[in-house]
Amino acid sequence: MYHFVSMKIPISRQDQQPVYVLHTYPYLETSLVVELFTRNFGRVATIAKGARRPRSAMRGMLQSFQPLVATWSGKSELRTLHEIEWQGGLHVLKGQALICGFYLNELMLRLLPREDPHEALFEHYQQALQALTGEEAQSIVLRRYEIRLLQELGYALSLTQEAGSGDDIDAGALYSFVPEYGAVKASPQSANGSASNGSGLQNKSGIQLRGKTLLDMAQDDYTDTQTLQQSKQLMRTLINHHLGDKPLHTRQLLIDLQQL
Amino acid sequence: MQTPTALEHLIEALRCLPGVGPKSAQRMAYHLLQRDRKGAESLALGLHNALEKIHHCQQCNNFSETETCPLCASGKRDPQLLCVVEMPTDLLMLEQTQTYTGMYFVLMGRLSPLDGVGPKEINLDRLLKRAQDGEVQEVILATNYTVEGEATAHYVGELLKARGLKVSRIARGLPMGGEIEHVDVGTLAQAMLERNAMR
Ligand SMILES: [Zn+2]
Repeated sequence: MYHFVSMKIPISRQDQQPVYVLHTYPYLETSLVVELFTRNFGRVATIAKGARRPRSAMRGMLQSFQPLVATWSGKSELRTLHEIEWQGGLHVLKGQALICGFYLNELMLRLLPREDPHEALFEHYQQALQALTGEEAQSIVLRRYEIRLLQELGYALSLTQEAGSGDDIDAGALYSFVPEYGAVKASPQSANGSASNGSGLQNKSGIQLRGKTLLDMAQDDYTDTQTLQQSKQLMRTLINHHLGDKPLHTRQLLIDLQQL
Repeated sequence: MQTPTALEHLIEALRCLPGVGPKSAQRMAYHLLQRDRKGAESLALGLHNALEKIHHCQQCNNFSETETCPLCASGKRDPQLLCVVEMPTDLLMLEQTQTYTGMYFVLMGRLSPLDGVGPKEINLDRLLKRAQDGEVQEVILATNYTVEGEATAHYVGELLKARGLKVSRIARGLPMGGEIEHVDVGTLAQAMLERNAMR
């Protein structure tokens, strides 16, 4: 007597998925928790069983910043990592670029919720790693990625229109950029309270910057050094706003190293 | 019935071992008390002695029972060479090669930005002082070829170069007797990127 059940595809198993390792940490005696950033499933936490044994085949493969393909299964919050292979190609992050890579990974671990697919972000991440191995200034690569990360997470704020009024940003004007609200004109009238936004938000801890900076950022143009400086302040403020109280380890590391 | 506090305390204490959760700690405690009281006594004594006697060598930072460890004190090592390793086991491996005759500095870790392990935790200030003793000419960075080991090598290297020291990094590539067909792709890729001119 056979009891027929429709062929159930084990949806919990994922084969040969493009991934990057964001971080690993010890788990029990011989295993590792491996935080993956996957193209199709977003951030996925897995356990690599026995990966801390000296002759583990996975051990050397679980390095950040390398394009890998992974197979995992399971339904719990911690999946089981079965296989991880190199996809070929190599991002050789050296020195300061390596720290920038750690910074990107820490941002992802802190801001990206688990199991929330972000295919476009995966492409951006890959491009950022690639760019970090190249000639482009690292600060530009980081700013671009920070903007895309916040956009993907749904925290996007307009860089081309004023908050409230929706007026086009004027390159020649000064603005105050308020987290979770956007740019408001920091003109004398607005200081008098007769501005279009009318919410009084401009008095909150907005960050002061030029309209040109915002428009440059929207165009991904960082040739103006003032744009580069102001965009750094702006992105730091916005990211800190979303991170909450706990500071980033990678930032602290750079501060500590400078003190030596 | 209440568990005696001494037992609770022991179980809690055993949990400080890596990978030991409450269940295994309980098992260990019962084993020691029930089946192996001699072993338990020797463990207690061993721990007590080790804690009392073992400190960090003031020169190389490795574990030592004396203020300066036997290796540093031997007088037979080349004081112009200083090799930086992550862990004592790395030092032992390098000693086994019998190819290195200089001194060491053991970091007892590596920079690990995502875990909050920074320069203080790995004694970088002590290393900087040690490397500037006036005798050291070359510092050899023998940290792991992991992303953390690489980051560590980079920063230690930059800090030392800024102080006028010659800095080198141990090489990587195909293993001894390595056949290209069987070597892992990552190693092969690195070997290709870091190829050397034939001499
Ligand atoms: Zn010593």
